[in-house]
Amino acid sequence: MFKKLPDQSEKVVIHFEGKCLETTKGQTVAAALLSNGVIQFRESVVSAQPRSPYCLMGVCFECLVEINGKPNQQSCMILVENGMKIKKQQRPSVDQNGNT
Amino acid sequence: MVSQQTETLVIGGGIIGVSIAYGLRKKGSSVILLDNEDQTLTASRANFGLVWVQGKGSGMQRYVDWCLEAVKLWPGFSMSLEEETGLKLNYEKTGGFEICLGDEEFANRVSFLEDMKKQSPNGQYECQMLAKDELQEMLPKIILGDEVSGASYCVHDGIVDPLNLLRAFYQGFSQRGGNYHPDQKVVDIQKDGSGFLVKTQTQQFKTQKLVIASGLGTTELAKLVGMKIPVNPQKGQVLVTERTAKLFPYATGTIRQNANGSFMFGASHEDTGFEVETTTDILQTLISRALRTFPILKNIQLVRTWAALRVLTPDQKPVYCESEECSGAFALTSHSGVSLAPLHSEKISKWVLEGEVPPDFESFHPRRFNV
Amino acid sequence: MAILEYDLIIIGSGPAGMSAAIVARQYDLTVLILDEQPVVGGQIFRNIEHLENQRENDFRKLGPDYRLASKLVEQFKNCGADYLNGNSVWHIEKEMIVRTITTVTDKGNKSSLAFKAKRILIAVGAMERPIPLPGWTLPGVMACSSIDVLFKSSGLLPKGEVVLAGNGPLLLLIANRLLDAGVKVSALLDTKPKKAIFKALPYLPAALRTPGYLVKGAGMILKLRTSKVRIYSGIEDIKAEGEKNLNQVSFKTNGQWRTTKTDLLLLHQGLVPNIQLSRLLGCAHQWYDTQRYWEPILDEWGNSTVKGIAVAGDCGRVSGSKISELSGQIAAFEAAKALRIISKSERDTFAKASCLELKKQNSPRPFLDQYFAPQKNWIVPKDNDTVVCRCEEVTVRDIRDSVRLGVKSPDRIKAMTRFGMGFCQGRMCGLTASEIIADELNSSPADVGYQRVRSPTKPVTLGQLVDSD
Repeated sequence: MFKKLPDQSEKVVIHFEGKCLETTKGQTVAAALLSNGVIQFRESVVSAQPRSPYCLMGVCFECLVEINGKPNQQSCMILVENGMKIKKQQRPSVDQNGNT
Repeated sequence: MVSQQTETLVIGGGIIGVSIAYGLRKKGSSVILLDNEDQTLTASRANFGLVWVQGKGSGMQRYVDWCLEAVKLWPGFSMSLEEETGLKLNYEKTGGFEICLGDEEFANRVSFLEDMKKQSPNGQYECQMLAKDELQEMLPKIILGDEVSGASYCVHDGIVDPLNLLRAFYQGFSQRGGNYHPDQKVVDIQKDGSGFLVKTQTQQFKTQKLVIASGLGTTELAKLVGMKIPVNPQKGQVLVTERTAKLFPYATGTIRQNANGSFMFGASHEDTGFEVETTTDILQTLISRALRTFPILKNIQLVRTWAALRVLTPDQKPVYCESEECSGAFALTSHSGVSLAPLHSEKISKWVLEGEVPPDFESFHPRRFNV
Repeated sequence: MAILEYDLIIIGSGPAGMSAAIVARQYDLTVLILDEQPVVGGQIFRNIEHLENQRENDFRKLGPDYRLASKLVEQFKNCGADYLNGNSVWHIEKEMIVRTITTVTDKGNKSSLAFKAKRILIAVGAMERPIPLPGWTLPGVMACSSIDVLFKSSGLLPKGEVVLAGNGPLLLLIANRLLDAGVKVSALLDTKPKKAIFKALPYLPAALRTPGYLVKGAGMILKLRTSKVRIYSGIEDIKAEGEKNLNQVSFKTNGQWRTTKTDLLLLHQGLVPNIQLSRLLGCAHQWYDTQRYWEPILDEWGNSTVKGIAVAGDCGRVSGSKISELSGQIAAFEAAKALRIISKSERDTFAKASCLELKKQNSPRPFLDQYFAPQKNWIVPKDNDTVVCRCEEVTVRDIRDSVRLGVKSPDRIKAMTRFGMGFCQGRMCGLTASEIIADELNSSPADVGYQRVRSPTKPVTLGQLVDSD
């Protein structure tokens, strides 16, 4: 969906679902994921529909992901940091180990 | 003005009013339900959804028995209302705890259970004390805080989805052809032959039987038909969190995890008149206690807080009465509108329609307040 | 721990907030400005400092307004206001205590911070009006301004073809920006009714008093019409379609359905004031029918109906950055007077230039608001299965059914259907829900009202709440 224009900012490496993704300092987690081709960020809580960011300004709460073990973080507001571990936001019927 | 005629008329669209209206309609009576729709959060939309026995009825054994009667009816009542409306009530007789922090609370609870046993005619009160390790064994997914000293456990306690319950009553009432009139503030009630003439600001109703279930408006309306029922507001603040994995399959009086995974914490008891603001200091007190009980909850995100007003009689126990001056006019109030829903729906409606007073109901008469 | 007290706490560091801070500091008011974003600029001037310093090409393309804004930022940074970015307000007490929570980092379990204010200025700006339509929850359907955010803050551009749909000045602006950046805009679906200009004509003379805005707009329209973008007018219906994400958009025009393949659909039906905080504080609001939104009731100095609480910028009435700056200045003059630093007549004198300029800059507004007036059929979906509350997946039908039970107020219908109970606490569905209820009752959203807003206005952990002062 999105491509990133080249820039000279310091490189940052984050992890998404176990894979390494490259991004730059100053990016939000949402932008970093979108520019790395991530389309679905989470499942909706009621019927597990695919969801991804809508407003990108902190209003819609669709960009929720799990960051370093903390669930339901607004990725459009949080800046990337080296080594950040990001996961799709699981529905709560799934525990930490992914068991229902 | 043309009067609308009906056999029964219920004033009050909260959980109690609509549960009785539903019950009356189910019994085939023509029912009009009047509701003074207001914007403030009512207890019916703001409560904890407990179907609770433990801790109720100290000083009034009849109330203890009444709560147990309700619990017996709940499973059948819930299934039938679910089938009728297609809504999920998520009623679960999970069993309930009153978790104690520190030795003093534990000792107080022990002595409370003793008092309840003494009060009961057969010396039984189905609630037992659990030591901390016994309690922990029942909770494999959530660790107790250091200060937890134990709990009292009652197998009869449970939870329900209070919002779906309210909705189910409304839906059931409508599906059965009940007449709901919102925006109707009752301004006068007069005797009209053997029945009553009820006037609102815009309409007029003639009814044979009248039920006043108006929460904080009960005192004023009950007076019009010769009943003295004192009620006062008491503010309670409640919190709800994001959904999380199922950790707590029981409930306490102040902590529960909903079917959808969100936690709820409550509830304060504040005498602040008719306002419904949430305040940080009270919220901190409520959370603090919850975290002392279950420390791991500290990383859960709070999504919303609210406050509403309980409707309390002077001894906090229900009032049920038929007016002596105006027979056929009934009034009731209770801050356990959820727990007692099946009884209000089935037994109170029977009393209103057929004159069948539930046994030993004298205990609930407001003359006990000597007003 | 003692709470820091300020004369003025400003929430939002966009044009309104920054301008207010600059003026307030001229009168030596102690000022704290809070913003949940990591850097200053608000929505329109997102990431402006970084753009100017590190992305000169992009910065230049944004035009002269941005160069002026750059100067505003510099002035703001030097005015001596305390600035706390990356902090979101989650509660404001009746005693004028503002509570914040860190947003931009997940480091540690930072406590909530608390500050006391003699006066609070809410300058949180506007948000996109949510447009429920079939398939709008699919990944690939986004609010139009999100592209602006991604470009300015992160240097992202759409990779493939983009479809734009809706009605509003921002739609034209974004379309132009995308074209400038070499992005393929395959279609622009203009939902403006064909007779829109006629309704707006009475306001045109006033608008021509400040022709700059209209000239700019006409220029954008011309550029679009002479480009390769297929523009469809008088759109009757739109569906976003795809399995796990968007892959095509179907639209009805002139009674006929057409389809275009795309993985990115940008929607816009105007901006609406972000009223979470003004509602939390109990400020009275009124319904602005032309643009179909609620705005706080304000006097000419930005005072709300709650003592000590003022509002400036787009969160009071959507008017753009120029007006936001001016209204921020005016609110700051008022703050100085309210705190007895200057007298009423001094305030009137010092603020005169800003007030006059504001009147002038406002002259195109009635025309623009009418010309781009959102139509009810884009706000109240025809398809009853359309999701209205995205968080709790509540449909149009769920809300209509509740109204048919006799229940009328948004709070009661919320209790029945769960709309507004999710994380966004009604930001994405509140307006729509009130419109649907009004439609079902044959009345106006003005009569129906809006659901009650409670704290926290942003999620805060139990630990953070318990630890705050």
